[in-house]
Amino acid sequence: MLSLQHISKYYQAGGNKNYVINDISLDVDEGEFVSIMGPSGSGKSTLLNIIGMLDEPSEGYHYFVNEAVHQLKEKKRAALYKQYIGFVFQAYHLIDELTVYENIETPLIYQDVKGSERKAMVADMLDRFQIVGKKDLFPAQLSGGQQQLVGIARALIAKPKLILADEPTGNLNSKQGEEIMELFSKLNKEDGVTIIQVTHSEKNAEYGSRIINLLDGRIESSRKF
Amino acid sequence: MIKSYIKIAWRNLRRNKAYAFINITGLSLGIASSILIFILIDYHLSFDDFHKNSDRIYRVVTEWHDETIDRSAAVPQPLGKALRNDFTFGEKVARSVSFHNPLITLPNEKEIKKFAEKDGVAFTEPEFFDIFNFPLIKGNKKTVLVQLNEAIVTQKIAQKYWGTDDVIGKVIRLDNRISFTITGVLKDLPPNTDQKQQIYLSYKNIIEYASQQRENNWGGVNSESKCYLLLKPSVPVSVANANFKQMVNKYYTGRDQKVWMFKLQPLADIHFNTDFDAFVDKKYLWALFFIGVFLIVTACVNFINLATAQALNRAKEIGVRKVLGSMPRQLFWQFIAETTIITLVADALAYVIAWLVLPLINQLFQSQMQFNNELLPLFLVVMTVIVVFLSGSYPGVILARFQPIEALKSKLSQKNIGGFSLRRILVVTQFAISQVLIIGTIVIVSQIHYSKTSDLGFDKQAIITLPIPNDDNGKMKTLHNRLGQLNGVKDISLCYQPPAANSNSTTDIYFNNRPEAEHWGINIKAGDDHYLSTFDIKLVAGRNILPADTTSEFLVNETFVKKLGLKSPDEVIGKKLSVNGKTISGLIVGVVKDFYNYSFHSEISPICIMPNTNYYSNYALKLSGSNFKASLTNAEKLWNETYPDELYDYKFLDDQIAEFYEMDDVLMKLVEGFAAIAIIIGCLGLYGLVSFMALRKTKEIGVRKVLGADVGNILWLFGKEFSRLLIIAFVIAAPVAWWAMTNYLKDYQYKITIGPSIFILSILSTFIIAAVTVGYRSMLSARANPVKSLRSE
Repeated sequence: MLSLQHISKYYQAGGNKNYVINDISLDVDEGEFVSIMGPSGSGKSTLLNIIGMLDEPSEGYHYFVNEAVHQLKEKKRAALYKQYIGFVFQAYHLIDELTVYENIETPLIYQDVKGSERKAMVADMLDRFQIVGKKDLFPAQLSGGQQQLVGIARALIAKPKLILADEPTGNLNSKQGEEIMELFSKLNKEDGVTIIQVTHSEKNAEYGSRIINLLDGRIESSRKF
Repeated sequence: MIKSYIKIAWRNLRRNKAYAFINITGLSLGIASSILIFILIDYHLSFDDFHKNSDRIYRVVTEWHDETIDRSAAVPQPLGKALRNDFTFGEKVARSVSFHNPLITLPNEKEIKKFAEKDGVAFTEPEFFDIFNFPLIKGNKKTVLVQLNEAIVTQKIAQKYWGTDDVIGKVIRLDNRISFTITGVLKDLPPNTDQKQQIYLSYKNIIEYASQQRENNWGGVNSESKCYLLLKPSVPVSVANANFKQMVNKYYTGRDQKVWMFKLQPLADIHFNTDFDAFVDKKYLWALFFIGVFLIVTACVNFINLATAQALNRAKEIGVRKVLGSMPRQLFWQFIAETTIITLVADALAYVIAWLVLPLINQLFQSQMQFNNELLPLFLVVMTVIVVFLSGSYPGVILARFQPIEALKSKLSQKNIGGFSLRRILVVTQFAISQVLIIGTIVIVSQIHYSKTSDLGFDKQAIITLPIPNDDNGKMKTLHNRLGQLNGVKDISLCYQPPAANSNSTTDIYFNNRPEAEHWGINIKAGDDHYLSTFDIKLVAGRNILPADTTSEFLVNETFVKKLGLKSPDEVIGKKLSVNGKTISGLIVGVVKDFYNYSFHSEISPICIMPNTNYYSNYALKLSGSNFKASLTNAEKLWNETYPDELYDYKFLDDQIAEFYEMDDVLMKLVEGFAAIAIIIGCLGLYGLVSFMALRKTKEIGVRKVLGADVGNILWLFGKEFSRLLIIAFVIAAPVAWWAMTNYLKDYQYKITIGPSIFILSILSTFIIAAVTVGYRSMLSARANPVKSLRSE
């Protein structure tokens, strides 16, 4: 589904290139659950952002569902990304001005889904995550775990093929974290959603089917289960 | 999608109440001003545009080309007749001669009612109502005003006199001399016409009311003797004007043929051409237009400033939206939707403000502007679109351009929102606009103060004038004596007009047996031997005139001597002077010091003061300070005893002089008002901006304080920035204001100089206003506990 070849990302500092990502090649198949690990500054988030097309690599080739992303124009890339990718953040990044319902609905609005259809889809999602009762609350009125549930629901609403999660449990206590990981695991197994997560926690990483360890912008090791 | 935009926009506004408040207040003040200015301009442009063929209607005006060019909106009385008889280019020609403040009585009513009609009556030829579109609601347009002693009145007058529209056959009496029977009722004249008379009388009666001599006199122009003409469609104006040359050759001889000139003035020009009798110069409408644009721009500047400053706070929302798949275009439109909501709310508020303020402006201008202007909705829509895009586009583009990753990590900085330089330019613009308006206000206020308080060369305090309502010289003398003996009357003079007056009589002069008349006219101030003492006018040479009923002695002023090209006042003493077509002659016995005989808008004229009972139309009374009220009541009593059939009316001389500056007062109040609004809008914006700056500098301030900076240092962080902007703005504003106000002062012959003090005052006041606005918010940040601000980082 996704192939990175010799991807590098660097910043020019004086005459030197400061590598954040250094010549990484990586293939992810459909249905995989990949955990990316590594110490702070090893380039995990940058790699995730490149995969998610929020950031552009300095060098290298990037293919996504058989499209050469590095050659695509901004508009096309956005369209591709809208269709296939959902994001989950450590800090949830819900829009404070919007209710739970509206937060979940927003991606559909940007994909020009009709109003009646949107209603049905959001209702479905609320139901599935058992947060129907909270649909009219604003993010500030929810606990961290609940906010992350909304964040995931929002990421899933447009039926993405790939979910990118940047330390999804980083701001949660262990019980809440476990629930979120169970949820990911279920999505992966039952719905066949491809998931790539960045995590610090060995335990959470083990929910995945592959663990990639990064160090100083390179892949240090890769284990499959 | 749109619904979602609007919803979000609404919530954003509610969350950022201060932001919304500043924007809505600023915009609504700006829009309200522009609505009012729009109504005002539209009102003046609409004057007399409702007549059929209004592009073919002209007024005949007179010009005298001599040493200088003098102009009058009126013509010699026989001109209209000659035009009709000798030339064919006029499809219709109508004369209309009006008289102000006549006495109207209703003789056939049970008790006699007296009315003084301020707008006067007009002796009018029937064609007048073919040329102008003033429809009759009663009476036959074909026959009305054709016979002697007919009158038509407006509905308003009919209601005022008899309380009904049904007034055909009723009788009015003019100045207790001539009766007229009503044969028609006019629909009320619309407010937007320069025709103010409400009573029209048969023209044929003018010979009886004025004189046969006047009806045939080509040698003089009475300022109320107008002639209107509907030009035949095929005739160009230039041909008509050429025909007037033949007319001059036919009716004038000698040098007069070169001096006199008649011209057609288009109807649309009448309201604006101040060379004649226009109410308002178009340049003032333009000035208002630009003030309106200025105010809107300042309000938009506020908006842009605050919105871009705020953009950082919205970075997260924008980042998330981008990650969720929003296109830049969509974010742009979302922001435009927000701007539209703010603008619409401001529109609604502005509409209410304008509606509330319009009556005040009508009062100020004594006009009747309507709020239900048909173009107003269109104006509002256009205005809204302009405001929305002017103020919404730039912040919209900035927001839409955010990089999502940076936005989410709160890594956005100044450079992402257009830097501080753009906002600096905008603030400078605002400061500059406020300063131009402040300088304008100061100049106008100083000039009016100067005009009103300067020594005019005569005394205007505690002097009242009472009218001499008819030609009965016996009564005049009796009342003169009785008034003079009243307690509290220090001095009394019989005169034509006070030293400075709106009514003037100017004639030709012959000096010292020179064969030709001088190439300039002289202003005749008829007055008796007490004229000088009553008005405290100083003699510089010779002696005062002796008491007399007819003219054998003259006093002249210094300007007269200068105009003759003589050096010393003594050179004219004892010389012969003839005025009014050589009908009045006498010897010059004294020269008085120059006094201002018009407003400061005009130059001092050559003047002669002469005793002549035929000219007297006022009693001027100098009252003593004590017992003012008693003197007034006694004077009224005596007057009413002498003239039981007339309407009593008195005026204070200083009020009459203040009337010269009525238009200037109006202008001053308007500019003051708009300057105040510009300052308020500017302050709002400044406050918003400094709040944003404070927020952005929280960490910097914390660090500085930890490093030992005191409150003063921190305040200077803000002060430095704004002082610099203010000075740049001043450098831009000063020449612009100087240019504009020099132009304004060109309307004055006697004026202040725009000195450095005016500029210093302006920059000081702006500085104080800015300091107060910026100071409070800066103080708050300067005194904040640094531990708090640093911990959150």
